[in-house]
Amino acid sequence: MSNREISCSTALREALEEEMERDDTIFIIGEDLVAHGGIFGQFEGLPERFPGRVIDSPISETCIVGSGVGAALTGMRPIVDMHFADFVTTGMDEIANQMAKIRYMFGGQAKVPMVLWAPDGGGLSAAAQHSQSLESWFVHIPGLKVVAPSEPSDVKGLIKAAIRDDDPVIFFQHKRLFAQTGHVPEDEYIIPIGSAAVKRPGKDITILTYSRMTYLCLEAAEQLAKEEIDVEIVDLRTLKPLDFALIAESVKKTYNVLIVHEACLTGGFGGEIAARIGEELFDYLDAPVMRIGAKDVPIPFSPVMEDFVLPKVSDVVEGVKKVLNR
Amino acid sequence: MIEITIPKLGLTMERAKLGRWEFSSGDAVKEGETILVIETDKVSFDMPAPSDGIIHPIVPEGITCAVEEIVGYLAKNREEYERIIEEHPFGEAEGTEKVETSQAGAVSQAGQPATMPPSSVGPKGRIKASPLARSMAATNNLALSAIAGSGPGGRVVRIDILRVLEEAPAIAGERVERPPQEISKGIAIKEISESIPIQGVRRVILDNMHQSLSQSAQLSLHTEACAEPLIALRERFSRDGEKVSFNAILVKISAMALRLHPRINASVEGDNIRVWRQVHIGVAMEANDALIVPVVRNPDIKTIREIDHEILELIQKTRENKLSLDDLANGTFTISNLGFADIDFFTPIIRPPESAILGVGRIIKKPSVRNDHVIPEARIGLSLTFDHRIIDGAPGARFLKTIKEMVEDPLLMIS
Repeated sequence: MSNREISCSTALREALEEEMERDDTIFIIGEDLVAHGGIFGQFEGLPERFPGRVIDSPISETCIVGSGVGAALTGMRPIVDMHFADFVTTGMDEIANQMAKIRYMFGGQAKVPMVLWAPDGGGLSAAAQHSQSLESWFVHIPGLKVVAPSEPSDVKGLIKAAIRDDDPVIFFQHKRLFAQTGHVPEDEYIIPIGSAAVKRPGKDITILTYSRMTYLCLEAAEQLAKEEIDVEIVDLRTLKPLDFALIAESVKKTYNVLIVHEACLTGGFGGEIAARIGEELFDYLDAPVMRIGAKDVPIPFSPVMEDFVLPKVSDVVEGVKKVLNR
Repeated sequence: MIEITIPKLGLTMERAKLGRWEFSSGDAVKEGETILVIETDKVSFDMPAPSDGIIHPIVPEGITCAVEEIVGYLAKNREEYERIIEEHPFGEAEGTEKVETSQAGAVSQAGQPATMPPSSVGPKGRIKASPLARSMAATNNLALSAIAGSGPGGRVVRIDILRVLEEAPAIAGERVERPPQEISKGIAIKEISESIPIQGVRRVILDNMHQSLSQSAQLSLHTEACAEPLIALRERFSRDGEKVSFNAILVKISAMALRLHPRINASVEGDNIRVWRQVHIGVAMEANDALIVPVVRNPDIKTIREIDHEILELIQKTRENKLSLDDLANGTFTISNLGFADIDFFTPIIRPPESAILGVGRIIKKPSVRNDHVIPEARIGLSLTFDHRIIDGAPGARFLKTIKEMVEDPLLMIS
């Protein structure tokens, strides 16, 4: 078995290549894909390899998402590139009222097997309209599956599962993680949607997190280990459907929970998880569940201010200590 | 000259031990001054001087005398005193340890090892504890109010429970100073480590227990009842956070059950079974290293609150060693509660001349089947020992069943 390390970008491209090779109903549609190989170079080489199956669209998210929904209804498996997750706003009717609901409204006689690929997150000084984490909007819409992986192997395994899924999947990939490298097996594998993973076993507290914050929490855990606090990190990977069984298993072991996400705190997905833990695991809690998220402000352009607004390693360290009363 | 005799302090008192003379021979005493402390089975009594005079004890301390026996004299003047000491030298009294242990000494009860269960009335107000700490405390039967919380704002958290659980065995196990032990080599040696004279209360208990088991035919039956209604009843009786004791309710239940089964409330006297008109229920308590069974009078015609009040008074008197002999006499039935020690069932021993005793076990949640579903339910163990000479198995069992039914549906008490 090889120990090859590749980036999230490469892992994504590898997965798309393998899937497009396997199934010729798969195509990619979005802005500037052929000319630039995607705004982050994530599709590099694909337009040449699969002529006509990587399609540049006009600058209209309504049109892009609408085309994807229409194609999916005819039996294609489109991958719709949102360019920036922030741009979903213009395609929102197509997402919330069409993509998510068609299977239901046609009594299961139609299906929409498409992936909405949405690079999200801050930390690149891209300012308020290009730095948001909007996953909680979509977990609130029945009919959508929401994926937000962290490491390269998860990206590859989950994008394959998303492509093969017969229902629409929103696939958030954090912009700061494109260059993040990690081990990715060479043999084919798929990570089922709806399965979380323990990224660091521990016994004192469970941190529930996803996407880029997984790395932030791993760093915090290393610091806390020096103070003999043994942190367990659960990377949710999929937000909907949520792998609550694994969450419960971890909480029943540590009795303490901290939820960390980059999205702003109010109305964030952490509130949903905390509520469910309160309902279903009340007797296992030794302290109130706490959440860490971005401050409730638009993400600033200034790097200094952006650092101030987004969760930091030190926030996680302090949060853990607060939960544990240390 | 006044004879100083052992007074009959209660209807059933037969004898007493001379505890302590407060004066020596030839001392002048004033009327009302305590001249002698006498000890009966379980109470001590300060005997006042009947008048002014010069005292002359004739029976040494520590001797057991019969009621009315002369233990000393009080002379009016020196002359009389001189004559008395000549006629009645110290130590001449006959009495004493020769007095036979009276078998009829109904007061000299004994019964069974038992005490009142500790009060479960907790302090008012909410205790801060994490959900986990609460469920751990419940699982381990710990009172949260007794645990110091180390969490934010004094919240009891998991480590506090773990700490208590770790310490628990140390607290529960008494530390006893033991002389260094040597392993004897060669032949097996059995040496006396301590010798405790069997006397006073211990003698009485020993005699009564032996008499009870050797002269009656005791049979014990066990059953278990749902205790939820009992707990609910106790809650409803609580006033200002003061709860009535389970024992008070059980005394009432037993009394009402005895009314429905009068033949249980009986004694063997010679060739007759005497069925008693009154119900008097003894409640076994532990006091000063010995079992004591003060009696609640006529609980069948008292309210549970009255009974509870009476039991509290008896507990207070027991603690302060102020029980009168009449507090102890003429029981017709006894209740012994070992629930405090996590006992479920036991075989209590009848206190003669009574013919039955109820042993009460702990109340604990157990799985119970209701409508084909297993549910957690508080249950209480009930044991009845009765004298099979005069109570057959079936009526004894029916009596216990009545108690069980009343525990499970206290309304039946007024049927």
